[in-house]
Amino acid sequence: MLALRGIAKEYASPAGVLRVLDSVNLDLKAGETASMMGPSGCGKSTLLSVLGGLEAPTAGEYTLNGANPYSLNADALAHFRNKSVGFVFQDHCLLPQLTVLENVLVPVLANSSPDRDAAERARTLLHQVGLRARLDHFPAQLSGGEKQRAAIARALIREPQLVLCDEPTGNLDRHSADAVAELLLSLAGSGERIVVTVTHSPDLAARFGSHFVLRDGGLFRA
Amino acid sequence: MPISHSTLLRRGLAHYWRTHVAVVAGVVIAVAVLGGALLVGSSVRASLRRIALQRLGNTSSAITSAILFREQLAASIPGSAPMISLEGLVIHPGSRRRAGQVLVYGVDERFWRFHGVPAVTLDGRDAWLSSALAAEVAATKSDTLLLRLEKLGDIPAESIHGRKEDAAAAIRLRYAGPLPAEQMGEFSLRPSQGAIRAIFLPLRRLQQDLGAADRANTLLVNEHVDAKEMLREHFALADLGVRLKPVSDATQVDTFSGVLSPQLADTATHLARDAGFAVTPVLTYLANSIRANGREVPYSLVAALPPGAAAPTNTAMPDNAIVLNDWTARDLNAKAGDKVSLDYYLWKDDGRLVTESSDFVVSAIVPIAGLAADRHLAPEYPGITDAESVSDWDPPFPMDLSRIRPRDEEFWDSYRATAKAFVRLEEGQRLWSTRWGNVSALRLNGGSISAEEFAAKLRQALDPEKFGLTVMPIRALALDASRGSTDFGEYFLYFSFFLVVSALLLVGLFFRLGVEHRTRELGLLEAVGFTRLQAARHFLSEGLVLASIGSVLGLGAALGYAALIVYGLNTWWSGAVGTHDLQLAFEAPPLLAALVFGIVTGVGVTALTLRRLLRETPRALLLGGWELPAHAAKSTRARWYAVIFAVLSLMLAAAGARGDIPGAAAFFGSGSCLLIAALTGFRRWLSAPASSGLLGRSTSLWPLAFRNLSIRPGRTLLVASLIASATFLLISVESFHREGAVAGGRDSGTGGYRLAAESVRPIYYNLNDTAGRETLNLAGQNDTNFVSFRLKPGDDASCLNLYEPRNPRVLGAPQTFLREGRFAWSSSLALTPEDKANPWLLLERRSIAADVIPAVADANSLQYVLHKKVGEIVEVPGSRGVPIRLQIVAALSDSLFQSELIISEENFRRAFPDIQGFRVFLIDAPAPRVAGVSDALEDALSDSGFDAQDAGEKLAAFHRVENTYLATFQALGALGLLLGTLGLGTVLVRNVLERRREFALLGAVGFATSRMRSLVWRESLLMLAAGQLAGIASAAVAIAPVAAERGFTGSLVSMSAMMAAVFLTGVVACWLAAGYVARLPLVEALRAE
Repeated sequence: MLALRGIAKEYASPAGVLRVLDSVNLDLKAGETASMMGPSGCGKSTLLSVLGGLEAPTAGEYTLNGANPYSLNADALAHFRNKSVGFVFQDHCLLPQLTVLENVLVPVLANSSPDRDAAERARTLLHQVGLRARLDHFPAQLSGGEKQRAAIARALIREPQLVLCDEPTGNLDRHSADAVAELLLSLAGSGERIVVTVTHSPDLAARFGSHFVLRDGGLFRA
Repeated sequence: MPISHSTLLRRGLAHYWRTHVAVVAGVVIAVAVLGGALLVGSSVRASLRRIALQRLGNTSSAITSAILFREQLAASIPGSAPMISLEGLVIHPGSRRRAGQVLVYGVDERFWRFHGVPAVTLDGRDAWLSSALAAEVAATKSDTLLLRLEKLGDIPAESIHGRKEDAAAAIRLRYAGPLPAEQMGEFSLRPSQGAIRAIFLPLRRLQQDLGAADRANTLLVNEHVDAKEMLREHFALADLGVRLKPVSDATQVDTFSGVLSPQLADTATHLARDAGFAVTPVLTYLANSIRANGREVPYSLVAALPPGAAAPTNTAMPDNAIVLNDWTARDLNAKAGDKVSLDYYLWKDDGRLVTESSDFVVSAIVPIAGLAADRHLAPEYPGITDAESVSDWDPPFPMDLSRIRPRDEEFWDSYRATAKAFVRLEEGQRLWSTRWGNVSALRLNGGSISAEEFAAKLRQALDPEKFGLTVMPIRALALDASRGSTDFGEYFLYFSFFLVVSALLLVGLFFRLGVEHRTRELGLLEAVGFTRLQAARHFLSEGLVLASIGSVLGLGAALGYAALIVYGLNTWWSGAVGTHDLQLAFEAPPLLAALVFGIVTGVGVTALTLRRLLRETPRALLLGGWELPAHAAKSTRARWYAVIFAVLSLMLAAAGARGDIPGAAAFFGSGSCLLIAALTGFRRWLSAPASSGLLGRSTSLWPLAFRNLSIRPGRTLLVASLIASATFLLISVESFHREGAVAGGRDSGTGGYRLAAESVRPIYYNLNDTAGRETLNLAGQNDTNFVSFRLKPGDDASCLNLYEPRNPRVLGAPQTFLREGRFAWSSSLALTPEDKANPWLLLERRSIAADVIPAVADANSLQYVLHKKVGEIVEVPGSRGVPIRLQIVAALSDSLFQSELIISEENFRRAFPDIQGFRVFLIDAPAPRVAGVSDALEDALSDSGFDAQDAGEKLAAFHRVENTYLATFQALGALGLLLGTLGLGTVLVRNVLERRREFALLGAVGFATSRMRSLVWRESLLMLAAGQLAGIASAAVAIAPVAAERGFTGSLVSMSAMMAAVFLTGVVACWLAAGYVARLPLVEALRAE
């Protein structure tokens, strides 16, 4: 269960305080998938960052399964991100120096306790995303869609409770976008996992169970 | 598992190898320069040690003496070799070349055996020369050489009976060949890095020509022998110049010098009295005339005896009483109560022979009997007391033989050196005492022991080291001195400082560039759950690996850098070190220090770069930028720093102008603060809020160029700082450059004197005295004024000597010189207005303790060579086994006295009584005649090895060493500047590459390639110009006092050339960067992927 109450986010700028989010409220149940749309600069990515533990809100409360990650110290927050959140970025953000398999396993490295099944899980995930034959390839050798599929596999390697996608198909052609969207919902959206995506694409948004719009700093159910 | 932290590390290192290579290169340079500089220091020390020990051979200690001792002493001390060691002048008649201050060694086969090297044949008149000397006089085998040196007489030259102008020995020799270093051809007891100019001739030949049969003045002792103990055990009284002889029914203690030192007289007197002897001290003197009643007796000995002696004098005698023997009384027709005058010569300390008179009253007439007939009361004066007749006398003073009458010859025939008159001992001592003593003999009568037993007791009681036989731990002193007065490691560290800083800044710059490129990677790691520490550790590990690789590679480069510097010191910069014999010495500690430095600083730079980034949120890192609030905070701080440092700069300049702080320090500090203020002001300017009217007002690209620079203010400032700092340092250092011979007035470094001279042999006569000039054949120099200094030879205390001076040269300055108040001062302990106006007067003031003598030194020598300050004590070895303590009471400013310490002549005579004559001279001559005067002096005084040079040129020689150090600093500083310019070029190219999408956009909206290039040009020039202007402006403040004092003509040209070269190099870098624009794949850059 994910809950946001009165979430606000402000930034200081030479022109004064910039209030990007203003009293955002959100409730998502386990297994729920949600899309968020809104004009450019409305704070979609900011809201995603707040949800992902990347950026603390200026005001308000955020709980995931009853716990507020921002009440944790920095290391515990990092642990929260590692265990509970999976990110899929618009531009995949794969490390160019690692192979596909190694990229998927990067989150495992953050954990000091050994995870013996991680490698097998990674291979399974990559098989599921259709990259079984590309395990030892580097990102430079993949297409945009393949990179994004690898990124999805990475987001799921720690079996997180929450998957956050920031414009996951924004840089892809339609065919690739469809494939990625399908993967996202089939893999990420199964079980008790909450999936939240930020998108400009109505087609992608339509595939998600709940729809929200960000406008004037507030979040509204569409 | 397929991935581990080390996998991440390895992959990151391999993938970003281009940036990493630059980081490694920066570390390599920093480690190479640091390690190399430290190696240079240890190499110089090792070279000095090697040179000193090579030249000592097997010598561990040396027994030396100002007088000659028995050669037989060597036979008593195993593992020793006797020799005569002097300084002389070598003349090659064939080439007409001459070499002064040559080390003269009289040796035999024991010398070579001592050092364990094959002996050379030294027969008859053979002489072997060191290679340097052979080259200097251009001698070829079998050539005739003339050697001139001072005869070592027993009688002090500056006493009335001491030989002066004929005290030189001239020895004709045949050049046998050059003596290589392996055969001790460079033997030297005093460490020196310069070439050794030495001549080796047979000991017997030298002894014969010096009239010193079976005598020596130096005993070399090896390490297996305790020299002090052996000397104590085996010395004889004769080695101290002390003699006991039976005379009549008494024993007489006297010396070969003709006078007993107060210490000897006291010791012998106490011992004799303890042994029951009645002791009669005697002082005998030669009177030119005894006059009374219109008559005179020429050239007569007068004896001064204590009242109550078993002698003509008695306790009832008044002070001015004189007793005449009957022969003299008859000749003068004198009786008791008559006035008698004695005329006698005195040799004055300033080198003049004067005649003085004293009046007495006859108190008694005595027969020539008993003590009054004792001809042994007079010391032995060769040429006088051993003459067959008065007319045969060959005294070292003028004598009018026409005054000798037949009666005088008759007296001589009968009574020889018997005294003709007697005065009270106290009166005689008042008139005729010298610094060597006031007793010419001790007459011992009675006693409970024999003369032999007394001699043994006396020997036991005397410490040979307190009587002139000095044991010097030569090897230990040489090793000490080899540490060097100049720590070259430290100096080259300073010289290379900017190079090291530039390299580290480049390491930081390149690492920063690399990390900037990977901020998203950092953000991703945090996003997937890496803690901040884990993320930082990953990049720090990369930094550690790069720093380690760079450091290890840097060690190899350090050896190369050190080798290059040593080569430079032996060649281009040999003016600073005075030798070509430095060798690279491999030592682990400097390299280890450099390795640790490289790793620590490399990791440190990495940590500093990361610290900034890790403060950002993971989101900001993912976005690849920095939040604006940090900019705003930095901008405010920069403004305050600029203000603070600007105010500090003004305050320092004002303090310097008022004289509250030394001018150079104040203005250099002011310039440095101004530099920091300028750079922080530049930073503030870069961070200023963007003006909204950038576009639309004009089509000039300058505002856009400036705005582009302010996006990455840290990067821009780093490059500008590199260039500004290098410019500042190079200009400031150039200002200390001194060119050419220095001519100056009374307050300059030459004191206004035209010539500075030094002689190999002492000159005893006063060169300002008519009689002295006539004696020395200088009658034509009446318009020339001489200042004569006494010299205690020793180690050069100037920057020309690399060895630490353990026994610096000391000059004794005459009172007339001290009162003139010439030269300029750096600091002094003067308190009164008179002393402040002329700190030389402090040399005549009472010192802080009875055993401390006030001294003056040059400020440069004091600081950089002796490592002392005004007020501190410098100890120099004395000739009586007791160190002489000199307190520095004032420091001269950039004077020609940089090689020595100066004390008053009065104190000099007291401290170094055995050193006689004058050897250093300052000469005032009319300007048009200076060259002529110099030639005339060298000609007239050639036998003394008189060498005169222009005083300004002498000072310029010191400046050349300084200038060499400065040139070295500038060469290395310029390298650092080039590195900085390389950094500029790298940043510019990197900027262009990072902004390819921006340029693509500009191209898409209609910017021609040439206009985009022009934009890059302006950005580059702004950085370059900001750096150079800040550096030049700050340096101008820093060097203001020096420029005001000395002008700047020559330096201005070279400085301008240097700055122009830097600017041109920067312009080339700008041009390269601008050229990149044309090569960017702009269409591809516009695409997302």
